[in-house]
Amino acid sequence: MSIIRTENLSKIYNPETVPVHALRDVSITIDEGEFTSIVGPSGSGKTTLLNMLGGLDKPTSGNVFINGTNITEMSDSTLIDFRLHNIGFVFQHYNLVPVFTARENVSFIMLLQKKSRKVMAERADKLLDEVGLGDRKDARPKEMSGGQQQRVAVARALASEPRFILADEPTANLDSASAMNLLDIMEQMNRNNGVTFIFSTHDQRVIDRARRVITMMDGAVDSDEYHNREKAATGGGGQ
Amino acid sequence: MSILFQISWRNIWRHPARSGILMGAIIVGTWGGILVAGWGNGLIEQRVDYLISTELSHGQVHHPEYRAEREPWMTIPDAESILAYLEGDERVQSVSPRTLSEGMARSPVTTSGVRIHGVHPEKERATTALYDRLEKGDWLGDEFRNPVLIGGQLADKLRLEIGNRLVLQFQDIDNEITAGAFHISGIFRSASSDYDERNVFVKSDDLSALIAGETFYHEIAMSLTSSDQADGVIADVNERFPDVHAQTWHELSPEIRYIAAYSGTLTYFLMAIIMMALAFGILNTMLMAIFERMRELGMLLSIGMNRIRVFAMIMLESLMLTFSGALAGILLSVLTLWYLGDRGIDMGMFADGLAEFGFDTITYPFVTAGEFFGIVIIVIFAALIAAVYPAIKAFRLNPVEASKE
Ligand SMILES: Nc1ncnc2c1ncn2[C@@H]1O[C@H](COP(=O)(O)OP(=O)(O)O)[C@@H](O)[C@H]1O
Ligand SMILES: [Mg+2]
Repeated sequence: MSIIRTENLSKIYNPETVPVHALRDVSITIDEGEFTSIVGPSGSGKTTLLNMLGGLDKPTSGNVFINGTNITEMSDSTLIDFRLHNIGFVFQHYNLVPVFTARENVSFIMLLQKKSRKVMAERADKLLDEVGLGDRKDARPKEMSGGQQQRVAVARALASEPRFILADEPTANLDSASAMNLLDIMEQMNRNNGVTFIFSTHDQRVIDRARRVITMMDGAVDSDEYHNREKAATGGGGQ
Repeated sequence: MSILFQISWRNIWRHPARSGILMGAIIVGTWGGILVAGWGNGLIEQRVDYLISTELSHGQVHHPEYRAEREPWMTIPDAESILAYLEGDERVQSVSPRTLSEGMARSPVTTSGVRIHGVHPEKERATTALYDRLEKGDWLGDEFRNPVLIGGQLADKLRLEIGNRLVLQFQDIDNEITAGAFHISGIFRSASSDYDERNVFVKSDDLSALIAGETFYHEIAMSLTSSDQADGVIADVNERFPDVHAQTWHELSPEIRYIAAYSGTLTYFLMAIIMMALAFGILNTMLMAIFERMRELGMLLSIGMNRIRVFAMIMLESLMLTFSGALAGILLSVLTLWYLGDRGIDMGMFADGLAEFGFDTITYPFVTAGEFFGIVIIVIFAALIAAVYPAIKAFRLNPVEASKE
């Protein structure tokens, strides 16, 4: 069953002054349980596409349907609430709240969802264990490595029980060991819990681990391939 | 909601030095401002007390037209019953009846225009602080015939000393010019050299004898147990004695009306200026904080924190920063005023010789509860002004800031 469908999605930045065609007629469908990578050279429109899929920005024309709902027609405040309950985000720069501990960073989103304290505490604990940070729950971001911070970010994205997770260049700031470790965790979540991941990258080793690769070129979809990879995730998750 | 307070408070301390300096500025600003305002209040009160104790007393009674015309015949009708009535009033501490005349003081050297106050020595001494301001010689007594007290300034001008003869010239009741020889028994020095040049004091019996051949009064000054009683006592006199005009100290002196009206305004004006300056500092710091946190705020909007919460979070951050500083500053000023209000600030340390001129060198600063309330309102107002703009900026942020390079 498809969870995301775009229909002739176009985005033109600065239409009045210096128009930039960041997306041209992108029509793609993403099904539940996918582990999909959006690839392409810098400036090809990966971030713009992910922002549209996540409802962070409005397209110039075209539509984005999530579970059949057209999110391009939603008001700003409805969309914020929609994101809170449906979409998980992982950013290139981790974007953790520096004054929060790992546990608080993961719990905060559940607090916004008005989950009970008990559910919040249990889920934050479980997720941090799953991403291999069982012993860093009370650490602040600046006390953690980039790889650890990004794993907190993945735990945070999972905490809200979203329908899918969008990750824009999640490994771009990580060394290759941390990058592979993060991919292991994401893959495990995908296999074991059926979490849908859509992540952009231009790192070939990361691309190699995706089951579907959508290649962007100058704002348009250049190719869309399924890798029938049967090779199991190497070495499992965090610990 | 409490989590927002928590985040905001922690965010303040992200840059401990920056926030600490700003908070320090707020503490010093409110503390210093309140203290200076309190000092101003103390000085004003001191000036009012001075005018009451030397020139005005708490209230005065005159012939209805005397203050405008100052004609010798405008005496107080039936002064004896008014005096008796006032002396029987328990709110009244003392009364001093006076015979007044506008005239000239003549020495062999020169002549000078003066107001001659004919007083009852004991009663005047009990009512005003003139006696305390005697610099040389003695109070009006029996040592000399026709004794007179003159100010230091007039003594210098006329080149006269204790015991010297001074001729006073004035109009009698029939508007004829008359004159009398007086002997200087004392020289006083008040806070105003102008006052010292233009006022002389003699016994009212001596003066009225020269003016009319019998004792009569133009003025009755009264000292009350408290200056708050003035309105009541004066109203009662006016009601009971319709032929005279009684006035309170603040009705008598336009200067007092003027400074009393400005004392509160001055406090608020000073605090408003200080708080506006601080508000710019707070605004600047908060804008800097938002600029640094674009990516984080974008993330919060992306993951689903609504804009009202983001707005509230930034508002709270500015407000908590301001209020904690202002609260500390206000508490500090309360403690300081409590201490100084009791001990006083001795300006003698800074300005030598003030005391010689009749100034009381110790000022007791104070800030009224009403003024504190006004100051708190000003602080809240300034804090809101400083907080709203950064919070609006955060409110309007685009969630895509989160993924910008
Ligand atoms: N806010 C913006 N305003 C103007 N142009 C933009 C903006 N964001 C992206 N672009 C342009 O749109 C194109 C696609 O950018 P982006 O989606 O960030 O590509 P990628 O993530 O693949 O590097 C680029 O040419 C970029 O310069
Ligand atoms: Mg990008």
